[in-house]
Amino acid sequence: MLKQIEGSRAVAEAVALSRPEVVCAYPISPQTHIVEALGEAVKSGALAPCEFINVESEFAAMSVAIGASAAGARAYTATASQGLLFMTEALFNASGLGLPIVMTVANRALGAPINIWNDHSDAMSQRDCGWIQLFAENNQEALDLHLQAFRLAEELSLPVMVCMDGFILTHAYERVDVPAQEQVDAYLPRFAPRQVLDPAEPVSIGAMVGPEAFMEVRYLAHAKQVQALELIPGWADEFRRAFGREAGGLMHTYRAEDAETIVVALGSVIGTIKDTVDELRAQGVGIGVVAITCFRPWPLAAVRAALVNARRVIVIEKTLAVGIGGIVSNNVRAALPGSGAAVYTVIAGLGGRAITKASLAKAFADAIAGRLEATTFLDLDRQVVERVLAREREVRRSGPIAEAVLKEIGPVAARPG
Amino acid sequence: MRKPFAITLDPGSSLANHTGSWRTLRPEYVDRLPPCNAACPAGENIQGWLAHAESGDYEAAWRLLVQDNPMPAVMGRVCYHPCEGACNRGALDDAVGINSVERFLGDEAIRRGWGFPQPAERSGKRVLVVGAGPSGLSAAYHLARAGHQAVIHEAGPVAGGMMRFGIPKYRLPRAVLEAEIARILALGIELRLNAKVTDLLATMKEGAFDAAFLAVGAHIAKRAYIPAGSSAKMLDAVSLLRSMEGEAKPMLGQRVVVYGGGNTAFDVARTARRLGAEESVVVYRRTREKMPAHDLELEEALQEGVMVKWLSTITHAGESSITVEKMALDAKGFPHPTGEYETLEADALVLALGQDVDLSLLEAVPGLEIDDGVVKVGPDMMTGHPGIFAGGDMVPSERTVTVAIGHGKKAARHVDAWLRGARYVPPAKPETAAFERLNTWYYSDAPKTVRPLLDVIRRQSTFDEVVGGLDEGSARYEARRCLSCGNCFECDNCYGVCPDNAVVKLGPGKRYRFNYDYCKGCGLCAAECPCGAIRMVPEEI
Repeated sequence: MLKQIEGSRAVAEAVALSRPEVVCAYPISPQTHIVEALGEAVKSGALAPCEFINVESEFAAMSVAIGASAAGARAYTATASQGLLFMTEALFNASGLGLPIVMTVANRALGAPINIWNDHSDAMSQRDCGWIQLFAENNQEALDLHLQAFRLAEELSLPVMVCMDGFILTHAYERVDVPAQEQVDAYLPRFAPRQVLDPAEPVSIGAMVGPEAFMEVRYLAHAKQVQALELIPGWADEFRRAFGREAGGLMHTYRAEDAETIVVALGSVIGTIKDTVDELRAQGVGIGVVAITCFRPWPLAAVRAALVNARRVIVIEKTLAVGIGGIVSNNVRAALPGSGAAVYTVIAGLGGRAITKASLAKAFADAIAGRLEATTFLDLDRQVVERVLAREREVRRSGPIAEAVLKEIGPVAARPG
Repeated sequence: MRKPFAITLDPGSSLANHTGSWRTLRPEYVDRLPPCNAACPAGENIQGWLAHAESGDYEAAWRLLVQDNPMPAVMGRVCYHPCEGACNRGALDDAVGINSVERFLGDEAIRRGWGFPQPAERSGKRVLVVGAGPSGLSAAYHLARAGHQAVIHEAGPVAGGMMRFGIPKYRLPRAVLEAEIARILALGIELRLNAKVTDLLATMKEGAFDAAFLAVGAHIAKRAYIPAGSSAKMLDAVSLLRSMEGEAKPMLGQRVVVYGGGNTAFDVARTARRLGAEESVVVYRRTREKMPAHDLELEEALQEGVMVKWLSTITHAGESSITVEKMALDAKGFPHPTGEYETLEADALVLALGQDVDLSLLEAVPGLEIDDGVVKVGPDMMTGHPGIFAGGDMVPSERTVTVAIGHGKKAARHVDAWLRGARYVPPAKPETAAFERLNTWYYSDAPKTVRPLLDVIRRQSTFDEVVGGLDEGSARYEARRCLSCGNCFECDNCYGVCPDNAVVKLGPGKRYRFNYDYCKGCGLCAAECPCGAIRMVPEEI
């Protein structure tokens, strides 16, 4: 059924259709609307049977989800930003124990300085925590990825993080096609846990494992993610057959077949990039897009196949790995040994700064003309940073950086965009 | 079930890791001395009997109480309760109303007719107790419970001593006193009334006593020289209060002046009001801060209209007036005359200047040391004469009923040991449970219960009891305000906070033990114990 609804509501409907038995909720922007909507559904009885648990922190949210999942319940939670960091320890436990928890991350910057707007710093900081990480391009895909996430998680016995850009998607009202309950029930079978708790046969889950077996456990976690790379495309096909539309998979390409220049990105920025590419194509530029849906496991072979014939690859990154630059671009480089393609890292949109077609077009043109540096920052106010750096060289006690930058920019500084 | 590799293991496997070996500090359960117990002159286990009272087992509370003090109903009325002054709860809101709970237990025992158990064995030893006041009765009680035959020689016509002849009825109704005395005597104690001992050694020999405990009260009023006209009416406080017990009440007139600043002075002034005096004035030579009378006594007297003339001495007593000289305190706090005089109308002057003990019975006893009107005793309460012990007003100490009862207990323990040719060594006292050791926020807020007071107007004409008792609900509530300082009350806090599950519950009333195989010595239990009953001790490594 087509609905004009907020992205958060669309995700909440998808989660509710997936019949979770435990929802752990702790509010944090921009995720809060999702658990609010689920809370309403549980209270009204629309989502039943389901235990909606108001927990006291994100650490508790993930811990309760772990307990629920270990006990055999389909468990869900959602978070963002500092909330994701706060549950870091539990994230590793959930994946280490192989518990098929599904979590939405409404992507948001990390402090300090505190910032509630979108970038990918939060999800990227947890890229090695053992969870499967899927990135949604738009609200329809966010909805669809959640349906797939439960299937994926339970088939593999691994937790899945569905990442959607905070505010840009979570708070945007768009048309989405919400499937019927029967469709979802047909696609997503009841949760059959890998192991069931039985008081008659007690076990210890997650007890200490020494050097004699720890490495093997970690290897098995890796092997399972590699195995997921083979299985995910098949499940995307199955989804298309069941629901009649494309969603999920490892990645998808856009006008990339004969492109000399390919732009790689994740999330909602793909839409802007596609529009920019369309305009450049109209001017005769051979440029295309590779949109990564599955960032973990990293689809090494699929990325290589998509990029291997390109002369240059431009990676638009909504995260800065301080001290090195890009994260996605490093993964891309790992997929391209010996291809001869130049890989550019463009850090863009940090802390909610708008990524405009004009700026993208200029960056792409610079790359094609050989003027782009290996790592650049899209729309960075060079004057401001130069002045702050100069003052820091002169004055030993130069004060906090964030305040110095705001002082340079003036009173409208905190405006997003 | 096929288990996920190395993720799901057999249960209980970590018990093989004896994490207790990492410990450098070891927690230990301790019983610290609650400040109330430490302050009690009668050595009562107050925290212990409050714990029984708060569980509603009043008989168990009373039985624990009377192991130290056989007169809770009297105590609950006349004790100046230093326990409440020491109570840690006083630093939180108000001290626990220990005295009112004690009175409730005492009254409950009288109402229900609880008695003392007879001693299991009799020693065949005979102990002479001189004086049937609080100290003598206490000693006789403890000696009887230890199996000895106590015989009390009392000079007066009834038992009770200063409790009867010094404390007015409105503070201690005589029925209460008599009930508690009768219960003590029911242990088989022989009481001989009107039997003043004049020659101690002769009496001991005559009665074949193996030891003696002397507990003669301070019944002789101290005198001061006051120039007086021939028709001035002057009395002393001791004989005035004593005459209140007789048939003929003393005639004091409309205006009564009492000279002195102790509790007795106020007892007299309050008695005078009840006998019909319109003016009852206490004249004291120093200030309120310096006055030995207890605050409660002064407060109740002021409520009843008693007046106090501070910084004044009486220089002359006439037929219907006295002359008073104003005093001034010097830098050291001593009063000095100022030469300013004043005249007060007075139909009677009562001197309440302190009391002495009649020590004539000791004249023929060798080895005794008498100093400043009292007998010297050792830490075992024994005088310089072997086998003769003394306590109460006779020995250097504060003179209160509670102190006297404490002396009786202490002396009885030493007499008992001495009779067996042994020495009584009191058990070492644990360190005090200081307020700083408590985690008071674990306890609920609970304001103190106030005991009912008789209307002031009734206190001016009758000798009805001024302070009322608590009913059962209020007494139990008050007992529950006890913080159980330094003594485990099984709140499960340590059991709950232990991250190693190393606290083992032993069942109701049996407390806990530590499983040192797994206790890592983190100290959470000690830090979070509400009452400070866990200490951390360094391990020897």
